[in-house]
Amino acid sequence: MPTTQFDNALERRESATFGMWAFLATEVLFFGPLFFGYVHSRLTHPQAFASASHHMHVVLGTLNTAVLLTSSLTMALAVKTSRRSLLAATALLGAVFLGIKAFEWVSELGEAARATGGEAQFYFLYYAMTGLHAIHLTIGVGLVGWLAARARRLSQIEVAGLYWHFVDVIWVFLYPMFYLLERYR
Amino acid sequence: MRLALTWVGLMLLLALTLASSYVPLGTWNTVINTAVSCAKGLLIALFFMDLARAGALLRLAAIVGLLWLGLLFGLSSADYATRDVSPAPWTAR
Repeated sequence: MPTTQFDNALERRESATFGMWAFLATEVLFFGPLFFGYVHSRLTHPQAFASASHHMHVVLGTLNTAVLLTSSLTMALAVKTSRRSLLAATALLGAVFLGIKAFEWVSELGEAARATGGEAQFYFLYYAMTGLHAIHLTIGVGLVGWLAARARRLSQIEVAGLYWHFVDVIWVFLYPMFYLLERYR
Repeated sequence: MRLALTWVGLMLLLALTLASSYVPLGTWNTVINTAVSCAKGLLIALFFMDLARAGALLRLAAIVGLLWLGLLFGLSSADYATRDVSPAPWTAR
């Protein structure tokens, strides 16, 4: 009798999900130091952070947040229904987010290059954190796009979904940190 | 249905965090923004990532990353709060 590491299909599926959650816990620690750096930097230069934040495109940032939150809805629906069209929609929304983000990065480059002191730290953290997030999202778009073409098991979609939602949560925290500082001024 | 409601909740929270940023509240702006982010994260984790129906093992794995992050934030903060920063001679200040 051949031996496998799993007793049944359920156990196999649970192991896949648990593995992804364990990976996401390490991802939290991967992003963590940048968040701590942000807290320390902002407490040291509160004024510079507020004024640099005013150079951000708040409309595009908000639109992008809505796009990503919507992509999480289509992803969650894809896990529920196993529909490939929903996976394709999720990957497409992710690509839209990346397109808008790329436009922002390019248009902010001039300001970022001229910035000094606390503002320079703001831009450094902005590019590092949104950049690291975008790398994760690019991997997500590739993964979900690939699954839209050839997903074979529900657990594949489930695990990719967990990763996708995690990347969404990172953005949910980044959005107010960079776009919404002292907007009332 | 539950997923659609979660999305509506997320959009309302997004509107709340955006609108509150245009009201001068001082430190409270940051408190509100952080609280809204946590609420959104919780909604996504509970309903999109299905933690609401997950077993103890998955919940534990989800919490443990945050627990470690909290520990490291605490230890690093203790360092910054209780030690002087002595820049090296060649460090631009």
